[in-house]
Formats: sequence, structure tokens, C-alpha cells
Amino acid sequence: MSEPLQRRAVVTGIGVVAPNGASTETFWKSTKEGISVLDRVTREGCEHLPLRVAGQVRDFDPSAAIEERYLVQTDRFTHFAMAAADLALDDAGLGRTETDAAPFSVGVVTAAGSGGGEFGQRELQQLWGKGSRYVGPYQSIAWFYAASTGQISIRRGFKGPCSVVAADEAGGLDALAHAARAVRRGTDVIVAGATEAPIAPYSVVCQLGYEELSTVDDPARAYRPFTSAACGFVPAEGGAMMVVEAAEPARARGARVRAVLAGHAATFTGASRWAESREGLAQAVRGALEEADCAPEEIDVVFADALGVPEADRAEALAIVDALGPHGARVPVTAPKTGIGRGYCAAPLMDAAAAVLAMEHGLIPPTPNVFDVCHDLDLVTGRARTAEVRTALVLSRGLMGSNSALVLRHGVADVS
Amino acid sequence: MTDRITVEELAELMKKSAGVTVAPDRLREPKTGFDTLGVDSLGLLGIVGELENRYGTPMPPDAERSKTPREFLDLVNSALMTGA
Repeated sequence: MSEPLQRRAVVTGIGVVAPNGASTETFWKSTKEGISVLDRVTREGCEHLPLRVAGQVRDFDPSAAIEERYLVQTDRFTHFAMAAADLALDDAGLGRTETDAAPFSVGVVTAAGSGGGEFGQRELQQLWGKGSRYVGPYQSIAWFYAASTGQISIRRGFKGPCSVVAADEAGGLDALAHAARAVRRGTDVIVAGATEAPIAPYSVVCQLGYEELSTVDDPARAYRPFTSAACGFVPAEGGAMMVVEAAEPARARGARVRAVLAGHAATFTGASRWAESREGLAQAVRGALEEADCAPEEIDVVFADALGVPEADRAEALAIVDALGPHGARVPVTAPKTGIGRGYCAAPLMDAAAAVLAMEHGLIPPTPNVFDVCHDLDLVTGRARTAEVRTALVLSRGLMGSNSALVLRHGVADVS
Repeated sequence: MTDRITVEELAELMKKSAGVTVAPDRLREPKTGFDTLGVDSLGLLGIVGELENRYGTPMPPDAERSKTPREFLDLVNSALMTGA
């Protein structure tokens, strides 16, 4: 990378609120064990809809995680973001004392696909049911997909550069890349990530129009990418936030460098044009490798996008080989999201978190519910696989045609 | 419903509309501002809207620019009295 090493972007904190765990530790424990938490949709108002299975966050109590005023003023997707940001900042050792001392050195970047659908539905029902005078003013901001960036910065008193990436599911990775750029340009700390809360009646109805959505009612069969039984994807809520810092200031304050954001690239190939996504995804991988100054053979694991649509799975399997060459058929590939569902923008964030944890633990988590792989890939299934993982590649594609790739390197390896 | 808005009712509205819990007595203090209590401009706007719906009458335009609960109560109560 051409930037000076001291401004290299590193990850010093991770916070996950996922369907399989409302903390980073429980998320990793469930992920490495390959536990599937996909289950029947039980969210109020959704039970009668044709979406039968999803990844719901069931053990998260927003009132224990955030203050009452934010419960009233923000949507569930922002509750997730605030809680995950707190976990990430704690992990990075950045409390109010540290950030209040230099508020302009801390910014926020988030990505979100749909924003606050549950909040918005409630207010729109007031509008049509009772009239415009009954719509609360917080509707003006709570539904908006930019809400989490603003509310995190307000709540924690951050005054550094703040932004929102609107780029489809792959925008989750783009948010990390944007954070890395902000750090290289001079901001010391960026809280970056993505959370989603699409399991609410209005939001689910919106998703029913996606032909890629799985409406299979058996949780064990609803989301099985890379198999001949692939029948679409299952949506999820939750997400992850990370603390991204410039390497040298991070080390100077004694922070633990968990990973390096080494390279990223994004491309666009059009909505639901999955065959074309092969070329777009391969090009994104090449760009990310180039920025990371990384040879294909250095990739120790690939976290796949794993859409679960046969044409898209084929395109991804081919793209991995197109971009990595013969190494693409040998490198372990995994998709832990088959156990939790696909959280739109939050999906690649949860994958990036799992990738960092995989590097730290020397363990590649498996792909739950997937057994008979029908593509030329070394997909990790059944149980986690022990491996030395120094470099991970995370892939993401959006239903509207964006493709993104991120190369992460193990933090310890970078220090030496 | 009385024709005057009490500190108790305002405290209840602050909790409902803005998620801010405060002891009603604090709202009598002339120097306690909405900002100190954590009610922002959107929160105050929501409180005004709720009062207008409850009382079926518009509140004075300056109500949502009040800096303190005390100032706010004086303003809206004098308007309710005039309207009555």
C-alpha cells in the first residue's frame, strides 16, 4: 500500500450483536461450533407472511443496552448499532474519558440497506390511521438509513468525520474501506460497521419481492448455498461495529491490533444479474489483493457471499478461481452466515468479525446446514477446521448489483 | 382533563415523546433547561404536537422554541387560558 505504514488502518475493537449471540464472545462460540439459529419467524405481525424462516436476534434487551431516550427516538437497527459500537469501543479500550479528550479525532461510518422500517411503519400507520398530526417528529430521522451514524456520534460525543455508505449489501465492506481511508487521511479513530433490522412486517413485505428470498419453511433447508438444493437466502438482523484506527497512534496508546484492513475494491454489475457478478466479484478481489500487495496464494480463507441462488453460487465459485487462480480451488471457503441468515449490509460485517476471530483462534468456522457441495470449492462444512490463518478474504454482493472484496491480515503478523 | 397543563403532565409527555424521565418538581425550576434534561428540538416538537391533539387547539408558535419547561408551561397555559 502506498500510504505510510503509521497511518495503516487497523482494527482494535469488535462488537457483534448477532442472531447467534448478543456479544462478540457468544457470536464466536456459536459460529465456531457451527450452530444454526435459523428458526421460524416469530416477530409480531410477521407470522402470517410467506417468509417462514429468518435469523432473529432473540437475546438482546435494548433497554439494558441503551438509554430510554434512544429507545423512543430510534429504530431497532440503531439500537443494534449503538450496542455493537459500545462493545467495540470497550474492546478497543476507548471510554468516554479517552474520546472526550479528543472528540474531533473520532468519527463514525455506517452502512444500512433499509434503515428503520419498524419505526417508520408505526408512524405511517399513525399517519393513515389517525392523521398527520399523530406522526411523531422523530420519524424525520429514525427511519433514515443514516440514523445510526448520527445517533452514535451524538450519544458518544464524537465530532470527527461522519458518513454513511449507501451501496447495497456490499456497502458493509465499503464502510470499512471508507473508515480505512478516513484514517489514512488523518482521523485517528473511526467507529465503522453495519447493522440491520429487517424482520418487521413492512420490511418483510418489501423483501417478498426479491426472487432470491427463500420462503422454505424448514429452518434446516431454507438456506443452503453451494448445494443442488439451494433455494435462496434467509434474511437476518443484527450486525457488527468495529473500531478502526491508524496503526501508530493505536500502538502508542497500547491498543491491541486485532487485524489490518489491508485492501478493498468494489464493482457493480447490475441487479440480479448473477452470471455477470462473476466478472465483477473477480475484479473486486483483484483490486483488493492489489491494494493489499497480496499474492493469491497468501489468502488462507475466503468468507463467501453465499447467496444461495444456483446461478449466483456458480458465479461466486468461478469468480474465486478466476481471481485466485489454481489456489482458488484449494483455499478453504466458508459461509457461517448459513447458520444465522443474511443480514444485508450487516452480513459482511459479521463475516469480517468472524474472519478476525478465525485468524486469532487459528480456526475456520464451518458452514451450517450445508453438506453436499456441488461446486469446485473447498467449502468448510460440518466442523470448524484448524488452520493457520494470517490473511482472510471477505466477499459480499448486493441484490442490486454491487460486489465488494476485503482483505484482512492478522494483527499480530503485522506488528512483527 | 384540566384546562391547565401541570408539571406532572409535562413530565409524562417528556417520557412518552422523547424518552426522558424526570421528576415533575424539577420542571418548576426556572433555570432547568430542556437541553439539560436531554429533550432536543424534535422532542419538544413532539410534546407540542401531543398537547395540540389532546387539547384540540393550536399551541403558540413560540412554544416549541422555549428553553425551559417553566417558560414552556407559562406560555402554553396562558394560551390555553386565553383560548378558554
